[in-house]
Amino acid sequence: MNNPALFQAMTPGFDLAQAITEADRCLLCHDPPCSKGCPAETDPGTFIRKLRLHNVTGAIRTIKSNNVLGGACGVLCPTPSLCEKECSATGIGRPVEIGKIQRALVEHGWKIGFRPFRAPSKNGARIAVVGSGPAGLSCAAELAKDGFNVTVFEAREQPGGVIRYGVPAYRFDTAFFEKEMADLASLGVQFQCKTRIDGAEGASKLLKDGYKAVFLGVGLWAAERIPGGEKLAGVLTSVDFLALMREERFAEIGGQVEGKVVAVIGGGSVAMDCVESAAKLGARDAYLVYRRSFAQMPAEEEERLAALRLGVHFLMLNQPVGYASDKSGNVTGVKLLRTRLGDPDASGRRKPSEIRGSEWVLDAQLVVEAIGNRPDSADWSGLVKTDRGGLVVTDEKTGKTSAGFVFAGGDITRGPSLVVEAVQDGKLAARAIRAALA
Amino acid sequence: MAKETGSRSAFGGALDLSVRFCGVRFPNPFLLSSSPVSNSAEMVEKAYEQGWGGVCYKTLNSDRIPIIHPSPRMNAYQYEAKQLVGLQNVEQISDRPLKDNLADFLYLKKKYPDRPIIASIMGFSNNEWAYLAKAAADNGADMLELNFSCPHMTVEGSGHKVGQAFHLLEKFTATVKGAVSIPVLAKMTPNITDMTEPALFAKKGGADGISAVNTFRAISEIGLGDWVAKPNVFGVGAMSGYSGAAIKPIALHFIAEMAQCDELGLPLSAMGGVETWIDALEYLLVGATTVQVTTGIIKYGYQIVQDMIEGLSDYMISRGIAKAEDLIGKALPNLKSTDHFDLARQGIAAFDIDKCVGCGQCYTVCQDAGGQALEWDESTRRPKLVEDKCLSCMICSFICPVPGLISHKEMPKGWARRPTAVMDSALAREVKIPALPLT
Repeated sequence: MNNPALFQAMTPGFDLAQAITEADRCLLCHDPPCSKGCPAETDPGTFIRKLRLHNVTGAIRTIKSNNVLGGACGVLCPTPSLCEKECSATGIGRPVEIGKIQRALVEHGWKIGFRPFRAPSKNGARIAVVGSGPAGLSCAAELAKDGFNVTVFEAREQPGGVIRYGVPAYRFDTAFFEKEMADLASLGVQFQCKTRIDGAEGASKLLKDGYKAVFLGVGLWAAERIPGGEKLAGVLTSVDFLALMREERFAEIGGQVEGKVVAVIGGGSVAMDCVESAAKLGARDAYLVYRRSFAQMPAEEEERLAALRLGVHFLMLNQPVGYASDKSGNVTGVKLLRTRLGDPDASGRRKPSEIRGSEWVLDAQLVVEAIGNRPDSADWSGLVKTDRGGLVVTDEKTGKTSAGFVFAGGDITRGPSLVVEAVQDGKLAARAIRAALA
Repeated sequence: MAKETGSRSAFGGALDLSVRFCGVRFPNPFLLSSSPVSNSAEMVEKAYEQGWGGVCYKTLNSDRIPIIHPSPRMNAYQYEAKQLVGLQNVEQISDRPLKDNLADFLYLKKKYPDRPIIASIMGFSNNEWAYLAKAAADNGADMLELNFSCPHMTVEGSGHKVGQAFHLLEKFTATVKGAVSIPVLAKMTPNITDMTEPALFAKKGGADGISAVNTFRAISEIGLGDWVAKPNVFGVGAMSGYSGAAIKPIALHFIAEMAQCDELGLPLSAMGGVETWIDALEYLLVGATTVQVTTGIIKYGYQIVQDMIEGLSDYMISRGIAKAEDLIGKALPNLKSTDHFDLARQGIAAFDIDKCVGCGQCYTVCQDAGGQALEWDESTRRPKLVEDKCLSCMICSFICPVPGLISHKEMPKGWARRPTAVMDSALAREVKIPALPLT
């Protein structure tokens, strides 16, 4: 099962001919509902119409000018619950596979060397974007189009944030991402990697250094923990597990998984990525441990089914309460309590309650906690208003924070959310920055 | 074992797909036309095994002028995601030695005596027409088809050049009729205005029937990189024969026009875009006795005849029609010139709105190309018809993705359509209209 080469590359998408065939099913709706279903206004109604009318480069231009990460979104978006959910063709069969068409068009653009952006004429003003994930990249691109000199500061080795370090390569690989970054580079955006802007002080300094505005798109790089896990060898957070696989230490993580019993805790998309990765890396048994049931999992249905098809054991209605370990501090298992579902909670999902006396131990040699991300140690509260969880408070239409000329977007303002939503945050903040500096 | 040709017992009595055409019996009306699909006995045999009722064999040549096909020789016309909606070709008549083709005739007649061979011929001189006619007749051909209609012969003055020079067409027909006693068809080019005119010349020359249409002179595509029309024959494009589903409606009208011409009164072998039993049936209904196919086979293979036979049979059963011949010309009495329309009867588009999926294409086209008779409810995503603005053009129904949602409904006597609004009625005073000369 473990095949590093396969693990590191995405499966091919539609080619242009397949995209045209799929687009042929589009009903070319008046006032297209799919376009309304896209959080980033990527406008599938328009780009599919353009494809139908053989205006292929125009279709690519529509995608990329609305969504600088149009390729990434075509791959990573949970389209069945966004644009495709609104598709009128559902009424006569099934929705048009919009995400696949979008990806195909973007990839076709790379194949034919189409440059969707013209080099903008500079207006001289400098903007600092902190964090190079989807929100930061989107904000940087929009501002660069407006002629701003944009510098993106990134703490890690390479730009990309969650789409480089937070998803497994088989879902979104580096080669694909580098191509999307080349489109962005044509806009003249500058990157300063390995440069951590540490909290309020760092951001204030950027303003003092002459940056006219600062956009915070720093993401959530710490993880919620289960008590005790942090002290044990063999217990990783999803953040660490996924990032390790995207770094030079891929072989090391492979060695920890292959032939072992791996338990992943959580029910969201990140948990699915982790457990699927474990299965693909050759885990003897890959367990997904979740305190509610299959129907309540936040992960997309297709992701859940994909994990099932890979042979993942779905261990539902079990609440992790701690760990079993040996004398040397290695994890040996997860302590679980069985749960039952009661009435719906605030999220509308039935709430699990623990069954007293049902504790048992699931033997595992590696445990990945994928129960939610939170802000890392950087503290922004000296500059901008933050909430109790450390998230930056913004106006959702503009990304404005409580501080002048400081804007924010993406997961650091919303909590864990979609790439496409972060893209939109970046766009909206860019518009607000342009207006503020006008 | 050969597949059914269709003439078999079906609903209680005998279902008879056979037709008699120019005195020759065909087990069903479905024939290969003279083209790449009827190039050799090996090919025709495969077609017969699938059930084809006969062949119009690839046009014979006399070996006097060498025939060389251009390379490449075809180009497909693509529409949206549909491939091969039309087909352009620059293929010539048979490049095989006459002797080989005639030997293949003998093979086919020996093995399939019930399947008639129509030998297509093309001479490059008067004598050559007679020579080829005799050669074909002496080697088993049941009928001849005179190729007056290939629109892209590389031999000067041949093909549809003859079909457009009516006196030549008549002369060559007469020559052939003088040389052989088997029935003779003249094959018409559609690259003229009124097909009845050359058909009448063929009749004067003694033709026993007419076959039509050959391919339409066309340009299916131009290379955008090299500005060479396709097929691109090493840097050169040419206007040449176009066929397939795209030309069917036009070909169908040519057949109907000839069938309605009382002065002509000859049996017709029709072709042009036939792929299904419905296409074939439509040709029968406007007066054809046999139907010939090439492009449909190029697209799907010989197997399509199975569906033509089964489809036509089931249609006949459903209509209680025992003999295919009884279908010939059935639509002609209802086919009239437009001055026969009863303009006092008017209707509108009727919407079965419960079936609607909310795409709104009807709204777009009604606004931009119809009577602006549809309103759009944004919240429910449903169209609403303003009845007295509906032109009954029915374009809404042509793009609606739901079958049966939009239909034409007659309105009661006295119902009137609202006149199209004038944008600014104040401008009426400024309009200048010259006096209308009444004589």
